[in-house]
Amino acid sequence: MRALVLLSLAACSPILMSESPAPPGRSARLDAVDGFWSIKSYRLELSQGVAIAVSCYRGGPCEKLAVTSDNPAVAEVKPASLGVLIPNGSMLAGNRATTAAFVVVGKQPGLARVHVRSKDGGRELAVTVVPPPAQGAPSTVAR
Amino acid sequence: MRCLLVLPVVAGCASAGALHQVSLAGQCAENDAACARRHPVAPLAIGTRFHPEVAADIAGSSTPTLHLESAAPDVLAVEDGALVAHKPGASAVLISTDDGSVVDFVHVFVAPVTRVSLARRDGERVAGAIGLAVGEDLTLVPALWNDAQRLGGDADAVWTSSNESAVSVLHDGSSDRRRLRARAPGKSKVTVAINGATATVDVEVVP
Repeated sequence: MRALVLLSLAACSPILMSESPAPPGRSARLDAVDGFWSIKSYRLELSQGVAIAVSCYRGGPCEKLAVTSDNPAVAEVKPASLGVLIPNGSMLAGNRATTAAFVVVGKQPGLARVHVRSKDGGRELAVTVVPPPAQGAPSTVAR
Repeated sequence: MRCLLVLPVVAGCASAGALHQVSLAGQCAENDAACARRHPVAPLAIGTRFHPEVAADIAGSSTPTLHLESAAPDVLAVEDGALVAHKPGASAVLISTDDGSVVDFVHVFVAPVTRVSLARRDGERVAGAIGLAVGEDLTLVPALWNDAQRLGGDADAVWTSSNESAVSVLHDGSSDRRRLRARAPGKSKVTVAINGATATVDVEVVP
């Protein structure tokens, strides 16, 4: 019974989506960590000096979005204003609202956890900030 | 649409933000081809400054008050609204409103200067010796390169003329561009040095 309740809570948590690409040769990748039934959490790999915009959605743009980082020296978070309308609520109602989003900035190599809170639920984001590639260093295409 | 908004300011499209709302363009006069090439689509040269003009294209809104902030100030700093390139790498330049909300960001690369070339004001490359008549003026602009890639940014250039009585080098308000004035018949080697890289052109003044 408890598992079912947790499961339904997890299913009701917001979905996070990348809204910006990584610059060439740098990392800015958001991945969902899948649980048995639904997304358990998210992980984000970000190069030092790189920013990524992430939107929050659950049946519409997340309401009352608040995002914090437990280690701003590694991963800094800021609110973002995307100015894009997306469907909000029932498809039948046809309502739309402005995307709710935030930006994560890789400040220095290390680990941080970003906590996403909203009226629609919360999410955890495990952030790894990696150092930029060395100048002229060969890159690995595939292992 | 974004390019159209910026076109009256610069001849050439600007560097669009990752969120497609704001562009950074060089502060250039219309039809100034040499200046317009300095927009940060190219990497900025180490030791140079880039003075951006921020243009926003936000639906249903005029441009709010915007501020620039660097994600990696050791690579690229923001000083008095200018981007200052310090060391090789890349940094996101965040464009935010007064309340700290990020409207857009641009990743700007910084690269070392490996070569300097000279061009005329219209952008045409100077490939050989220059002949001038006495009293004639010619404006030269240094171009910074990293191998085959043109770099952006305004550099503090040091110009010298080996024969000041034949050719004098005059400031024209730019940190890197200079006006050569042919003063008397003779020959001179005009050299520009930027961040350890140099370029030299032979100038002959005829009566």
